[in-house]
Amino acid sequence: MAETRRKAILISPESCIGCRGCQTACKAWNQLPGQKTGDPANFQNPPDLAPTAFNLIRYIEMPGDAGQLRWLFVSRRCMHCGDAGCMKICTAPGALSRTKEGAVVYDQDKCIGCKLCSASCPFDVPRFDGRDKVVKCHQCHDRTAEGFLPACAKTCPTGAIRFGDRGELIATAKKAGYEKLYGETDLEGLGTLYAFRETPKTYGMIENPAVPESVVFWHRVLKPLSVIGTGAAVALSLIHYIAVPPKRDEEVKRDD
Amino acid sequence: MTDGMIRKAGVFEIVNHWAMSITFLVLGATGFGFLFHMEKMNVIFGDFNRMRTVHNWFGVAFSVLVLFKIVLYLPHVLSFDGDDVRWLLQGGGYLSKNAVVPPQGKLNAGQKLFAAVIIVAGVAMAASGFIIWLMPGVKRWLLLSQLAHNVSFDLLVFAIPIHIYLASLASPGSARIMLSGTVPLAWARKRHAKWVAALESKAAVE
Repeated sequence: MAETRRKAILISPESCIGCRGCQTACKAWNQLPGQKTGDPANFQNPPDLAPTAFNLIRYIEMPGDAGQLRWLFVSRRCMHCGDAGCMKICTAPGALSRTKEGAVVYDQDKCIGCKLCSASCPFDVPRFDGRDKVVKCHQCHDRTAEGFLPACAKTCPTGAIRFGDRGELIATAKKAGYEKLYGETDLEGLGTLYAFRETPKTYGMIENPAVPESVVFWHRVLKPLSVIGTGAAVALSLIHYIAVPPKRDEEVKRDD
Repeated sequence: MTDGMIRKAGVFEIVNHWAMSITFLVLGATGFGFLFHMEKMNVIFGDFNRMRTVHNWFGVAFSVLVLFKIVLYLPHVLSFDGDDVRWLLQGGGYLSKNAVVPPQGKLNAGQKLFAAVIIVAGVAMAASGFIIWLMPGVKRWLLLSQLAHNVSFDLLVFAIPIHIYLASLASPGSARIMLSGTVPLAWARKRHAKWVAALESKAAVE
């Protein structure tokens, strides 16, 4: 293999028992403090991703067969998009970058806290700490670079969170009967894949995730146009100066 | 009024102009720095965090100067008339050596147009900049502001070089308006006939 192959996390909600070991392991490895949360409406806690919660299990309650409760557990975290809106819009070089494993990681020393990444993320992932610096799941790049599993995948007792070669994970899931994984092709492939039995909506995921259109337009048109525009203005001025030279003061006077 | 000099710009107007040009240069340079991740800018600012602080506070100064600009130039912009339309259609006489253009007021149509660009883009820049800086919590506003900030940026980095050219090389004798504030009467009569005529009739009445 000439190039390092992209790694990914495969999440299988059908195997998840909602133990939240992944949440705890994430906090342990990343040394994140506990968080006081309110009275949760269900078992989900914390209610949302937070500066101190890089992942969480979403507890979805819905009517099941024969009047029974259907309970879904869906681990949520940064999706490590192949085409990452956060990286696209980021104003500070090096604040967000991609590891050779394909994870989107951050450098708080480089982050300037403009928070544009949070607006450009299709999955509402980036959070900001007390100093307004970006924080989020970084796929435990400090572990995976050394050949260890991410903390969540390491601790998961049922295999609902698996980490490995992205292509191999997809192949395995297909063999297990999943026709198409969530994130297989979206946004040039997500680094967090989901094996869903039903529509993504059932599991609380958006259909066809995309970088906001205004960000794509800015990136493709407005950004290059700034340089082209400045260059064109200078070039037009020079050409005009040569083609239609200004009237001299004498000519101005003579005209009077 | 015969020969001699005539005042075209006041001290406040001139100071506002140069203050704005300095803030524009700093904001534009740092803006390009953010847009294209120009790490060479660290030679000047140290790091991007400090560059952001500089960008934000020069933005505050720029916003105040835009307000002054509105007070100074909005009346001129709103006085846009038929002569101005014809002036613009003829390219202000800049497209040929022998062009004859309609008589102009204190600001010609091109200057009115430029003032309008500065006011519109300046207000959009300031408003969107403050939203990005102070209220990044609402994502739709953040995205809209990012878009507005960049559209205005493109407009300004195109318009400003042209403004610099037209007010210096392309129009000998006009640069002094933003230095001493005065121009020769003959020069003014040729380029701003309606303005000079109005001043002269007023002087005649007095």
